[in-house]
Amino acid sequence: MKATSESASDLLFPLQYRGKALALLLLQPQHRLHVREIARLTGTVAGTMNKELGRLQRAGLLERHSVGNQLQYCANQAHPVFGELSALLRKTIGLADVLTLALTPIANRIGVAFVFGSVAQARETALSDVDVMVIGDVDFGEVVNLLFEAQTTLQRDINPKVFSAADWRSKLATKAPFVLDVLAKPKLFLIGSQNDLDQLV
Amino acid sequence: MTSTNLSNLAKIGQLDPVVYSKDLVERMLATARQRLRDAQLIQNSDETRFDCAYTAIRAVADIALHINGFRTSASKPGHHQTAIACLALTLGVDGATIRVLDSLRKQRNLSDYDGELVSEAALQECLKQAQALLTRVEVVLSN
Repeated sequence: MKATSESASDLLFPLQYRGKALALLLLQPQHRLHVREIARLTGTVAGTMNKELGRLQRAGLLERHSVGNQLQYCANQAHPVFGELSALLRKTIGLADVLTLALTPIANRIGVAFVFGSVAQARETALSDVDVMVIGDVDFGEVVNLLFEAQTTLQRDINPKVFSAADWRSKLATKAPFVLDVLAKPKLFLIGSQNDLDQLV
Repeated sequence: MTSTNLSNLAKIGQLDPVVYSKDLVERMLATARQRLRDAQLIQNSDETRFDCAYTAIRAVADIALHINGFRTSASKPGHHQTAIACLALTLGVDGATIRVLDSLRKQRNLSDYDGELVSEAALQECLKQAQALLTRVEVVLSN
């Protein structure tokens, strides 16, 4: 899922405020946030965001809770489309775009990059690290530092794994359990595709 | 400044004050050098080499703390993390490098406790960082 000028997320969520609010709240359904926090985390204007949150709440996609003198919003996990919508967000606006953008400066030296582990399998908890695989002609250290900012944005630890194409092939040839496990399980592609990964064999 | 920040960590129990011992520093330095040599032996598995290089990094981090009059408090969880983070204060290591060292620490936990394999890239980074830190502390000790 490369960050292009017209991404799938822009097409599917043309209203910026709606997309940002949904991505923030549906991808962390256990979090309740008040309007100012939501505006700060999404880099939006609180007044406009407040109107959008009201619409989403009236449609039943969000829940509103009064806590003291604060109004807090969170995802309504009981809504019939909660599962599908959060999957769509996860694969579009959410995490993947942030990570792809972070890797952009070295994208020309990366063959394939993808998220694996619990996040890609959508069975993560708030504490799960985001496991990111990067296969290409890059240093472990540069990947760590490029992904560092994204940790703040996503409010998650990112755990990068870096392989050269040759190293990946040799580990695959010896049937290393870790590599076989990664190949067998769901992935969210950031740079390149399943096809590019298959070509590495 | 350095000692103030380290003292603050001592106040919250992350560090304990120690009396400087030249003998102990020399033994820790010997450990760091030996582990780095072990890490360079290609007949060892990548996991063992990584583990040795990581131990060398930790030994240097501990030496740097000792020179400044402290050691990590083993009774507190996360003493590896503390020793690595303190390198910014004890040896003036820059933030980007600290982040890499901390990622190597996490990788070491995953390979030691979860049986995750070590990639060639992670091993090379660990060797490079261990060598750089060892050289750095050797310079400090020779002054």
